[in-house]
Amino acid sequence: MLEQSGFVDVRIGPPADTFGGAGGESKARLFEVFGYAFSARKPK
Amino acid sequence: MSDGLPVDPRALREEVKAKYRAVAVDPHGSYHFHTGRALARRLGYDEAVVAALPDRAVEAFAGVGNPFSLESLKPGERVVDLGSGGGFDCFTAAGQIGPEGRVIGIDMTEEMLDRSRTAAAVMGLRNVEFRQGVIEELPIDDGSADVVISNGVINLCADKRRVFAEIMRVLKPGGRLQFADIANGKEIPAGALRNIDLWTD
Repeated sequence: MLEQSGFVDVRIGPPADTFGGAGGESKARLFEVFGYAFSARKPK
Repeated sequence: MSDGLPVDPRALREEVKAKYRAVAVDPHGSYHFHTGRALARRLGYDEAVVAALPDRAVEAFAGVGNPFSLESLKPGERVVDLGSGGGFDCFTAAGQIGPEGRVIGIDMTEEMLDRSRTAAAVMGLRNVEFRQGVIEELPIDDGSADVVISNGVINLCADKRRVFAEIMRVLKPGGRLQFADIANGKEIPAGALRNIDLWTD
């Protein structure tokens, strides 16, 4: 969706176990939900 | 939904407001996510930077990743934080951009704005400002931001294309978007996507 929106140089970082040990852990595991860092650039 | 969105954006917004109003008022309450310093440590924030912040600046932090992990901000940059919450990422950004830079945090929840503004005042920060607004209609001038950051907020918006269009509008040419958010490895059933409660729980 980032590229469809016009962004370039899209990067994605490694997954973070955002919900591990929290109340939402079981639901996160069910759908393999992790946190990620993203970066992208608006073209010049 | 008639506009092709899985849920009513305004109804979802009210659910999100209620959830994060509770976090602002009681950051140590029981939620489906971690909060505060323990969460910042889990997500790999610089421990010395976090340790230097007062509790009020950190305890309502409820992000899902680290938007500074792929690239740091540069001194003097103009930064906009979408869904700034208690202000933790704005304060982290303020340290990276220095006194010549500026951070504007946008949040729709009065209680979070009260919290972040108070924390900024306590720290004496002059390069951070908080404005009330929604991220689909940013109260930010066209082409004014070097960097847009966000953390765990875009996933809570039904109309993500509109959010990305707004980000594109406020960024300068060549400007960066650095955000953290959740993504699922397994497909979520269509029925669950239409259940507004599941967006915030």
